[in-house]
Amino acid sequence: MAGISNVIYQHVSPALATTLFRRNAVYLTAIFAGAFAFELSFDTGSNKIWDSWNAGRQWKDIKPRYLVAAEEEDDD
Amino acid sequence: MTGPVIPIASESSGSDFTSDFIHPPHYLPPLSPIAVNNPVRVVNRLTMSLSAASSTLLRTCARQQLPTARAAVTSCQQTRGVADAKASFESPFATANERGSTLKIPNFSKYQSSKSPRSNQVFSYFMAGTMGLATAVGAKATVQDFLVNMSASADVLAQAKVEITLGAIPEGKNVIIKWRGKPVFIRHRTQDEINEARETKWESLRDPQSDDERVQKPEWLVMLGVCTHLGCVPIGEAGDYGGWFCPCHGSHYDISGRIRRGPAPLNLEVPAYQFPEEDTLVIG
Repeated sequence: MAGISNVIYQHVSPALATTLFRRNAVYLTAIFAGAFAFELSFDTGSNKIWDSWNAGRQWKDIKPRYLVAAEEEDDD
Repeated sequence: MTGPVIPIASESSGSDFTSDFIHPPHYLPPLSPIAVNNPVRVVNRLTMSLSAASSTLLRTCARQQLPTARAAVTSCQQTRGVADAKASFESPFATANERGSTLKIPNFSKYQSSKSPRSNQVFSYFMAGTMGLATAVGAKATVQDFLVNMSASADVLAQAKVEITLGAIPEGKNVIIKWRGKPVFIRHRTQDEINEARETKWESLRDPQSDDERVQKPEWLVMLGVCTHLGCVPIGEAGDYGGWFCPCHGSHYDISGRIRRGPAPLNLEVPAYQFPEEDTLVIG
C-alpha cells in the first residue's frame, strides 16, 4: 500500500496527489467515484470468475440443448 | 506580608483549648473484665481514643499552620503571570544522568521516515481514502441486500397482477377469476343494468355509494367476490335486486354490488384496476 501511494506520488504526479487530498470535496468525490468504479469492476470480475469456474454447469450453458429438444417435441 | 487578618487561635487560647480535652492522647480508659473478654470491644475503644487523639492533633496543626499556608498562597498569587525564571524542568527527585534512570528520552531516529513529509501525508490520506472507499462499498452492499431481501419476490409479483382480455366476455355475463387467492367478479353490464344502477337512490342505502364511484367504465363492473359479512362467495344473477346473493346468510347485492338487504355491513369491495388498452383489464 505504501508502495502504491509512493508510486502515485513520485511517478504519476505529486500535483495530482496533492490536489486530490487538498480539498475535502475533491477527496470525498474521488472516494465515492472510486467506490462506484470499484464495485462495478469487483462485481463484473467476480461474476466472470464464477462463470468460468462453473462453465458448462449453469442453465445458460445448457439451455440450448433443452430448448432445441423441446421444439423438436413440439414439432413431433 | 500584609494580608487581611482573620481571627486565629493564639498561643494562650490554644493552651486553654487543650485543657478542655477530656483525655490526653496517650490516655486509654481502663478496660473492664467484660471488655477484655471481648476483643472487638477492645479494638473499638482503642480506635475511638486514637481517633480522638488524632483529631486533636490535626486541629492544633491546622490552627498553627494557617498563617504560613496563607503566606504561600499569597506569594503564589503575586508571582502568577510572571514568566518562569527557569526554561527547563528538572525533577527534584531524580535526574536523567543517573545510571538506569527512567527519565532518559529514548532515541527515535531509527523510526524516523526518510521520505519527505508530503509523501508521508499522501500515504496516510491514501490509506484513509481507501478505507472510506471500502466502507462505502460495504455499506451500499448491506443496504442493498436488506432491500432485495424485503422486496417482493418474482413469484409474488407474478401473482400480484392479473390481465384479462375483455373481448371474450359477452354483454350481460359474469366472469369469475382468481386474483391473489380471492375470486373477482367481472360483469359486462347491459345498458338497462347501467341505468338501473345509476337511478337507484343510493343516498339512503346502508353503505351509500354512487355507481360512478364504483366503476371506471360503466359497462364493466369489477369487484371482489367476497361477501362483506363473513366472507362467502355470493352467487351471481340472483337475489331480489338482480345482482348477487350470498347463500350463507342471505345478503342481497344490487347490480352495482351494493348491499341492499341482509346482514352484510358494506358493499362488495372494488379492487384497484385499470384499462391499459381498450380491450384489456389489469387487476392489481
